[in-house]
Amino acid sequence: MKTGTAILHKKRGLRDRFEVMDFIILVILVIWAIAIIIPFISVIAISFATPQEYLESKLLLFPTRPTLSNYETLFADGRILVGYRTTLIILLIGVPINMFLTTSVAYALSRGHFPLKKFFLYAILFTMLFNGGIVPLYLLMMELHLTNSIWSVILAYGVNTFYMIIMRSYFQSLPDSLIESAQLDGAGEWTILFRIILPLSMPIIATVTLFYSVDRWNEWFNAMIFLRSNNMIPLQLVLRSMVLEATAQRTMMASSAAISQSMFSDGLKMAAVIVTMLPIMCVFPFLQKYFVKGILIGAVKA
Amino acid sequence: MSQSKAKSSRIALFWTQVKKNRQVYFLLLFGILWYAIFAYGPMYGLTLAFKQYRAVDGIFGSPWVGTQVFEYVFRDPAFMDSVIRTLWINAGRMIFQFPIPVILSLLLNEVRLGKSKKVLQSIFTFPHFLSWIIVSSIMLNVLGSQGVFNSFIKLMGGEPLSIIGNSNFFVPLLYITENWKSAGWSAIIYMAAIAGIDQEQYEAAEIDGASRLQRMIHITLPGIQVTVTVMFILAVGNLMTAGFDQVFNLSNPATATVAETLDMYIYRVTFQSASDFSFSTAVSLFKSVINFFLLVAADRLSKRFGGSGLFG
Repeated sequence: MKTGTAILHKKRGLRDRFEVMDFIILVILVIWAIAIIIPFISVIAISFATPQEYLESKLLLFPTRPTLSNYETLFADGRILVGYRTTLIILLIGVPINMFLTTSVAYALSRGHFPLKKFFLYAILFTMLFNGGIVPLYLLMMELHLTNSIWSVILAYGVNTFYMIIMRSYFQSLPDSLIESAQLDGAGEWTILFRIILPLSMPIIATVTLFYSVDRWNEWFNAMIFLRSNNMIPLQLVLRSMVLEATAQRTMMASSAAISQSMFSDGLKMAAVIVTMLPIMCVFPFLQKYFVKGILIGAVKA
Repeated sequence: MSQSKAKSSRIALFWTQVKKNRQVYFLLLFGILWYAIFAYGPMYGLTLAFKQYRAVDGIFGSPWVGTQVFEYVFRDPAFMDSVIRTLWINAGRMIFQFPIPVILSLLLNEVRLGKSKKVLQSIFTFPHFLSWIIVSSIMLNVLGSQGVFNSFIKLMGGEPLSIIGNSNFFVPLLYITENWKSAGWSAIIYMAAIAGIDQEQYEAAEIDGASRLQRMIHITLPGIQVTVTVMFILAVGNLMTAGFDQVFNLSNPATATVAETLDMYIYRVTFQSASDFSFSTAVSLFKSVINFFLLVAADRLSKRFGGSGLFG
């Protein structure tokens, strides 16, 4: 019934003439979209531009003489490769650990009653309200002798309680009879989790894996505090140090020769921005629906 | 005699229950260990606020000094300034950030061409997935003296604005960039709420001759009122914490005086000046306690307004 009226409504809506109101709304939204897109176009253009063109052009949105020299300088520098390597290590070791911890806790807490269940659940939820903050965490890492080890960054972000709750509520929505019949067949909890629950939960597994992957890709604060060595800097921090370096250069030097030097560093900076966000840019169109699904499951719960 | 018997049988029942569920505990083990070490460990570390930290003795062995450290904290004028600045900046977010996703979702809902709606929504949500390091790198260029924004102003014959490194523009810059990055993403929750509104209400209103604007104000807005209220309360719960990544990456030495929020203050006293870990832990504890009460209050309130609270 409801879908029927919705279709009717849609049909009538399409037959309506294009009102002034439609036009105004569309203009506002398109301006907003342009305000989001223009910075990206500008960044791409600068990264492919020569310093001369960047200096001369009044509004650079499309380089007339595109060059790869900024990218060549960037990769010759080597830091960006260290960044990629570190971030990939953190992601490839970190995300499986995140998923293992999150899934096992979420499944255990979705099971029926067992002694101390409430205690564990509330102890976990409490961490969403109250935490020690960064200083005690730093001292803890020092006392565990994990500072300057990649494990400090990997272990500091183990379970995101919010994702765990999303997953738990998904597991709870699965019919109990599945688990009961498997138990009658003599399957243990781990077998049930891996053989029955996980295959049925692929949408939520995919969503949470994506959330963790994006978090890991964008992670920098813990690394900035825990890691000191120069050959273990995640990509985000490499970008940050390059941006800061270029800004410092610009304020220090004032001669005209130095200006063209700093313009060139703008090209290098923007090339670094592109290289850092490229993976997210590439996967976003395909994965957008999972992200949206994830936040909606969360929104229904929260 | 019978009482102790009942007690011992209850303990026996408890243990048979535990044994029956031993695999469930084994499932919980790894996650609980993680929470114990990396969530509760730092909470224990907060006791350092009442101790004088000595590296050789560690957190556990350092001697107790009572509330002495807090006296030092409250004597530092920069501390109270940073607290007030944090509350002030984040209160501004309620006015200049919070309504934007609501408006955006109302407008998106009125777009009748399904395809353009989808494309627009994709564009709006994308920047949310970039880190603040990336977004601030982009913004520092785009809004800088050579950037697109000032190039455009010059083309139109205006005077270029010096936005970056200008302390007058810093707080507005926070609101603008946050909206640029995440308003589209936040709008999704309201879009979902709008999708849940009964379509027949709109049809009835249409028959009664209500205009689009009237339908928006009298049907759509009341329809998402609960969601808006709950989101607002949750935002209040984040008054002390919102925006460290953003402030940290958008600020520079020129804006240091207007950018020192509580988190920035904690970062500075911990990692930049001669670090006194007891001092910074005391500040951390202060922040965690205030934040705890804000979140609990937010949770209670959102339940009262028909939401399901922080935990569902």
